[in-house]
Amino acid sequence: MVGGGVIQQILRRKLHSPSLATPVRSWLSSKTAHVDAGSSGVRAFALLGAGVTGLLSFSTVASADEAEHGLACPDYPWPHDGILSSYDHASIRRGHQVYQQVCASCHSMSLISYRDLVGVAYTEEEAKAMAAEIEVVDGPNDEGEMFTRPGKLSDRLPQPYANESAARFANGGAYPPDLSLITKARHNGQNYVFALLTGYRDPPAGISIREGLHYNPYFPGGAIAMPKMLNDEAVEYEDGVPATEAQMGKDVVSFLSWAAEPEMEERKLMGFKWIFLLSLALLQAAYYRRLKWSVLKSRKLVLDVVN
Amino acid sequence: MFHPTIWCDSDDYRADVEVVDPKKCLEESCKPKCVKPLLEYQACVKRVQGDESGHKHCTGQYFDYWQCVDKCVGPKLFAELKW
Repeated sequence: MVGGGVIQQILRRKLHSPSLATPVRSWLSSKTAHVDAGSSGVRAFALLGAGVTGLLSFSTVASADEAEHGLACPDYPWPHDGILSSYDHASIRRGHQVYQQVCASCHSMSLISYRDLVGVAYTEEEAKAMAAEIEVVDGPNDEGEMFTRPGKLSDRLPQPYANESAARFANGGAYPPDLSLITKARHNGQNYVFALLTGYRDPPAGISIREGLHYNPYFPGGAIAMPKMLNDEAVEYEDGVPATEAQMGKDVVSFLSWAAEPEMEERKLMGFKWIFLLSLALLQAAYYRRLKWSVLKSRKLVLDVVN
Repeated sequence: MFHPTIWCDSDDYRADVEVVDPKKCLEESCKPKCVKPLLEYQACVKRVQGDESGHKHCTGQYFDYWQCVDKCVGPKLFAELKW
C-alpha cells in the first residue's frame, strides 16, 4: 500500500506532459497497484516493524554512544598555539622530566633520540650525561658477540618492554602506546591528553568499572587500563616550580607536542615568510595580468550597418 | 589589576602548606556556574539508587555537568600555571 502510493507519486512527477501521459499514467499506475495489491499489506507491516525496531534500538544506542565517544575535552590556551608562537622550552624540559620519572616505566618513545633534546630542552653535556645513564645493546663485536655499552647521543630513548606482547602481559592485556606521536595520533591530541591525564574522577551513578580498569570520562568507553599517574608533587622539578597535577600535565603535554612536531617553530616561521612573499607576488601578478589584458578589455567593437 | 582566582594560584603565599592543585581549585570555584546540570545529576542519582535492574546510569547528566565545568575552567587554568 505504502509502496504503491510512492510509486504513483514518482510516476506523476515524471510523466509531466498531460495529453500523452494520461492513458500511459493510468495504465502504469493501475499495473503497479495490481502488482502491489497482494504483497502491499505484508510490505507495509514489514516497513513499520523495521521502523519501530530502529527507533527503539536508537534510543538505547544513543545513551551508550555518549560514553563510547568519551566526554569532549575543552580547548586549553596552549602558549604555543599562536601563529608565531614558539614552544615554552622550560616547559618541555620539565615535561621530559615528568615523562622520564612517571611515564617511561610503561610508555616507550622510540622515535626520539637523545640528540633531539640538545638545544631544545638540554645542553649537549646534559644530554650526553643522561644518555650515558642507560645501557644499550650493541654489536656484534669482532668476536661475533652482542655486548652492552653506555648510551650515546645517537641512541633512541630506552624502551620499557622488549616487544608489544611483553608490554601487554605486564599491563593486564592493555598496550601502553608509544608516545612519540601521540598528540598527532589522537583527535584534538594536546587537549585530549591533558584532559585525560588530569581527568580521573569517580564514575557516575550506575556505572561500575571492573577490577583492573579505571574510570576516565575522556577515554572512549570510559574504562581505561592506566591508573591515575599524575599526583601532586609526584615529581620534584629541578627549577623549583611547584609540581601540581595540572602543572605536570601541562608540562608533559608540551613535551609530547614537541616530540610529535619538533619542526613546528621552523614551520611557522617559514609559513609566515612565504605567505607574506607570495601575497606580494600575487599583487604583482594581478597587476601584470590586468596590464596585459587591458589591450583586449578596452577594445571597442563597431557594428557597421550597410544601408 | 585584581585577579579574581588568586586563591587558586599555585605560587602560594602559604608556603608552609602543601600545594593546591589549581585545576581542582578552579573546578570548585566553577561549581556555582554549573548548578543546573549538577542538580539534574543529583536528581538522576536519586532515581538510579532505587534501581534494581542495573541498567540505569547517569552518564548523560554527568557529562553535561562536567562539560559545563570544563568550559568554565578551560580558559582560566593556564593562567594559574607556570609558563
